[in-house]
Amino acid sequence: MTFNPTRRQVLLGGASIATVVALGGIHPAFAAEDRSKITVRVEKDLSNLDPANRSGPIDLNVLWSVQQGLISFKPGSTEWELDAAEELEQVSDTEIRFKLRAGLAFTDGYGELTAEDVKFSFERFIKPDSEGKPVTYAKDWSALDHVEVTGPLEGRIILKNPAPALYTIALADGSGRILSKKAFEALGEKAIATKLIGSGPYTLKEWTPREQFVLEINPDYKGPIKPHFLKIVGKPIGEQKTSEIAFQSGEIDFTAIDPENGKALAALPDASVTEIPAIDYVWFGPNIEKAPFDDIRVRQALRYAVDIDAILQGAYSGLYPRANALLAPSLLGYWKDAPVYARDLEKAQALLAEAGHADGFKTKLTIEANARYEAIAQIIQANLAEVGIEVEIEALESAAYWALGENDASKDLELSLIKYNGKFDPGFQTQWFTSAQVGQWNWQRWKNADFDALHEKGGITVDPAEREKIYIEAQKLLDESAAFIWITHNFNAFASRKWLKPGVLPNGNNWLYTAFTEATA
Amino acid sequence: MRSASFQIHLASKLATALLAVAGSVVLLLALTRFIPGDPATVILGSRATPEAVAALNARIGLDKPLIEQAFAFFGRLFSGDLGEDVFNGRPVLSLVLGALPNTAALAISAMLTAIVLGVPLALVSARWPGGKIDRLVAFLSVGFISTPSFVVSVFLLMVFSVTLRWFPVLGAGESGDLGDQLWHLVLPTAALAAGWVGYIARLLRSSLLEVLSESHIRTLRAYGVSEAKILMKYALKPAVLPTVAVLGMGFGELLGGAVFAEVIFNRPGLGSLIYDAIRTRNYPVVQGGVFVIVLLYVLTNLIADLSQSLIDPRERARLVSGRGAVT
Repeated sequence: MTFNPTRRQVLLGGASIATVVALGGIHPAFAAEDRSKITVRVEKDLSNLDPANRSGPIDLNVLWSVQQGLISFKPGSTEWELDAAEELEQVSDTEIRFKLRAGLAFTDGYGELTAEDVKFSFERFIKPDSEGKPVTYAKDWSALDHVEVTGPLEGRIILKNPAPALYTIALADGSGRILSKKAFEALGEKAIATKLIGSGPYTLKEWTPREQFVLEINPDYKGPIKPHFLKIVGKPIGEQKTSEIAFQSGEIDFTAIDPENGKALAALPDASVTEIPAIDYVWFGPNIEKAPFDDIRVRQALRYAVDIDAILQGAYSGLYPRANALLAPSLLGYWKDAPVYARDLEKAQALLAEAGHADGFKTKLTIEANARYEAIAQIIQANLAEVGIEVEIEALESAAYWALGENDASKDLELSLIKYNGKFDPGFQTQWFTSAQVGQWNWQRWKNADFDALHEKGGITVDPAEREKIYIEAQKLLDESAAFIWITHNFNAFASRKWLKPGVLPNGNNWLYTAFTEATA
Repeated sequence: MRSASFQIHLASKLATALLAVAGSVVLLLALTRFIPGDPATVILGSRATPEAVAALNARIGLDKPLIEQAFAFFGRLFSGDLGEDVFNGRPVLSLVLGALPNTAALAISAMLTAIVLGVPLALVSARWPGGKIDRLVAFLSVGFISTPSFVVSVFLLMVFSVTLRWFPVLGAGESGDLGDQLWHLVLPTAALAAGWVGYIARLLRSSLLEVLSESHIRTLRAYGVSEAKILMKYALKPAVLPTVAVLGMGFGELLGGAVFAEVIFNRPGLGSLIYDAIRTRNYPVVQGGVFVIVLLYVLTNLIADLSQSLIDPRERARLVSGRGAVT
């Protein structure tokens, strides 16, 4: 922002404020709606636009609209459709053949999109970067052996092992975006973090850090996806309350909201609210290496002592669905017959007595500091007090809380309340509970060789029916351990103008800007 | 004022200011390394394997010893380089310089508004102490001071943005469009200035009453000088000294402490830049931002100190004559 006004500008500015205020005027931000453009709220600013080093869904949502993949997600679905690829065929468990559409071109004069660009973009994930370090999202392509270019627009993706999750985790996701090799070599790795070159339906016209980014239709785009709006403006607004006020004032057209405010916002004359069950997983559980939680009877007692329905009522206003296992209903491997544990204080007390803790004990519950998790922790604290377990709540600021995933810091935890984001493949969810994750993200420090084997098997099994069985078996083992007390898969709510149909994917965190359209009556 | 004594006074103040800046930067560097969490876990999230965290920390230079990082920071400082944003490599200096005008504009407008409203209220209160107006001003001042600024902010937004739609909620206005920028400044200024109006009114009223009870004012009254003239010409100048000192501190505080207004009104200022950077452990941005705020804070206090020396005839005389201790 520059701020060097002339005297004339100062006088003009002051006079204009006075005049419009006096006349009850309307600021341009509140002017009549222009339906060729929408303004959406994003929770934070863009950060890194290199697909291999991106830093979350805000970046990814923009990448999806500006860069193409061989395939992309269908609007509102976990299924995929062809994008830059005209043909894509799984030739064998370890080989995928592709043929690109002709005439796809990168912006800024970087030429046609070719199979060489595909090879370059995907193999970046399995090669060290310019400083000899792996890229941030290297794991997404861990199954990749190499990409073979068989013609200007054709090639073969050769895998080291079968990888059915590759389609949703990499190819259709951010790690499957196709960079221009020429642009990368001309601009350098550092520059592509902020300079986005693509061949997709939109171009990133402007990115003013911490103020806004602007997507505009790419006039040279020749792919199959038809974007609706000429311009999409993203405003980073960290505070949820501010975004809801901005929505009410008409300054933004779309925002994620707290589901509890859904009714109030839906009552506005020009607003509609969209609700989407999420695929995250919120649970609490003990560190089973620590006494007395090394005794399964104590863990079972916890499960009977805590009232999950009361948590859903008290901390989630009764709006969020209950989770009874790891995988959400919309995912492959959903265990619909998972046991639903009702609160039973007698059973809990009997189990504690059997384990030699009839008089209870003291413990600590570690949570990420925010109002909702504090409410959950207080309900757990009150519930466990009824069976003699005295809980001290330790609320850590976000970065300090997630630092528990480093340097084996989780070994000192006792009870912890955790929320992980879900992805569309069940293997993404099960990976955090393997033995190898103890010391990192398996904070319950639960180790089970059978579970590890099932996770491995699920990752290389191609048949969906077989995979489903594998993941249900894996969830049964989680249940038997009594180390995981599931609370909810979360719930997303969005407020938008009545005339706007948002392009949100089923996890709620990811949006396809290309799928934002005008609502039909 | 150009005596050796004044030069010593000035040099001493400058040296203290430089030490304060250097000390706070060293302290900050140490503190940021001791708090748990790092940018790698924020960037990588649940993908943060030890290898990936180590690789990322190496890439952004966090694997180097603290002392090496401190030397690197001061070394870069001399060439005007405050480092790079760890997430995308943008120069921190450009981020800070981009945010600073928004914060400075807000701090200046809030302080000016507070002075323009607070000083007349103090004068009116001191002119008729114990009267109806004084009681009303006292009531309003205490109300302004005690109402948290975020409550005022949300109230202003609900009335003037949502209901009346007079003023915008978000941002600092279009770059280069002064009218738009002023428009975006109105509500955050009001929210930030409200408490200061009350504070200045109370502080200055007390000082005025103290001065008005002094014997030279009694003498002036005995000579038949009008109350208005006494107030404006003879009482205000000495009474304003404590307020100037507080304003100096307050302006510095506003530069760094306008975080709530910047967050609620979504202004891309320095406070919210540092707030976001702390949350994501973006150390170079935290260090660069805090360094600039410390620098400005020290500078405004220095200016307030020197202004006091210039306004206060006793201090001025002491500096000119070279007598007495420098405070």
